[in-house]
Amino acid sequence: MADAHAPAKNPFHGRSVVSADDFGRDDVLYLLDAARAFERHGLPAAHPPHAEPQRGRVLGLLFFEPSTRTRLSFESAMLRLGGSCLGFADAKMSSTVKGETLADTIRVTASYCDAVVLRHPMEGAARLAAQVAGIPVINGGDGSNQHPTQTFLDLYTIRKATGRLDGLKIGFMGDLRYGRTVHSLASMLLHFDVELRFVGPESLRLPEELRETIRRAGRLGAEVQTLEDVGPVDVLYVTRIQKERFPDPLDYEKVKSAYRIDRAAVDRFGPALKILHPLPRVNEVDPDVDTHPGALYFEQARNGVTVRMALLDRIFSGAGP
Amino acid sequence: VTRPNDFRLQQGTVVDHLPVGTAVRALELLGLPRQGPVTVGINVPSARMGRKDIVRVEGLVLRKEELDRLALLGNQITVNIVRGGEVAQKVVLEVPPRLVGILRCPNPTCVTNHERVPTIFDRQGAYPHRFKCLFCERVTAGS
Repeated sequence: MADAHAPAKNPFHGRSVVSADDFGRDDVLYLLDAARAFERHGLPAAHPPHAEPQRGRVLGLLFFEPSTRTRLSFESAMLRLGGSCLGFADAKMSSTVKGETLADTIRVTASYCDAVVLRHPMEGAARLAAQVAGIPVINGGDGSNQHPTQTFLDLYTIRKATGRLDGLKIGFMGDLRYGRTVHSLASMLLHFDVELRFVGPESLRLPEELRETIRRAGRLGAEVQTLEDVGPVDVLYVTRIQKERFPDPLDYEKVKSAYRIDRAAVDRFGPALKILHPLPRVNEVDPDVDTHPGALYFEQARNGVTVRMALLDRIFSGAGP
Repeated sequence: VTRPNDFRLQQGTVVDHLPVGTAVRALELLGLPRQGPVTVGINVPSARMGRKDIVRVEGLVLRKEELDRLALLGNQITVNIVRGGEVAQKVVLEVPPRLVGILRCPNPTCVTNHERVPTIFDRQGAYPHRFKCLFCERVTAGS
């Protein structure tokens, strides 16, 4: 692809993946290149076919909060690498209900695995886990804070579809204030030569810290309240506006239809537009957008397996390239 | 009129150039008075600051962690360590780049408010600093 880079050394070897902020441009590009090797005909697959590069490894899936796609895509990734998974998908299944601390749960379960994926409702849970586990910890979402593998797969999807990460105009629409996928992706994109544009209701504007960081980096394009005003974008990243963010349900009703895209809305950007959404969608992307050639959200979900295969493989594999 | 400088310390610590209104907070942070006579000056004239607060403690030498806590109260707070009636050492306090176990995270859903783990905050920018929680990544003013 267009990016010239490729560090020779594997920056993920034995490393925890807690926050997208812990990784720089070269790390990301290394991972995205590695992920390409785990894709055959657009589908996640080990290379060569039927190879099991991580046979005998065990991945712990410690999900203290419900998750379908993150948990299943990690499981799929590990199984496709020839490894196995164990864990729980509900805090009620863990010793937490007996009053065990998170740190102790992590210490114990870590002794059964080679790495763990943790999803937890408390922000910072993955950082704490990484301190005590003694094995790599992958953050599968810590409250409203970070979900770094989502960011990696978003970047992979954008690069795969456009052939590059530099030189893009990327629009974000929806919940800019609380959407952790928006925050992580926007922060990570600052490592690239991009222009970021934002569409959302006044009450769900970007957090001031992040907005200031983007502005200082010279990457802040438009900040508007309607999609018509956003100007040209190569990529539109849509997120769900959650009802619980609004103290007054009437306010939610007002914005929910305003931040919904249909085929007519996206057609105005031309056929080259790429549309991403971290899913699940509720009503913010009309199903008639699904046939748009740039509607990438289901492929984005599939890329989650590819990118997580690459990440697990690089974590478990040697420090070489 | 008795000026603060009339109380000569023989052995102890002077915390000088505290912003006006922070002397009581400084006493709280240091758990004073836990020993020795403590002299507090509030809204004292200062050549550098116009007005300042000052705390003097007989017989007390502050620990690093206590200095780190004090540093959060203002910019360029000065600590004089006095021995034999003379200033033996003068330290201009600076907030360290990383604060361990000093601040409490204001985010109620931060893991540090639920597990027994020392908080870790990284200093950001120039004074007035902001502090980023290493765990939940929220940025706070730290006051």
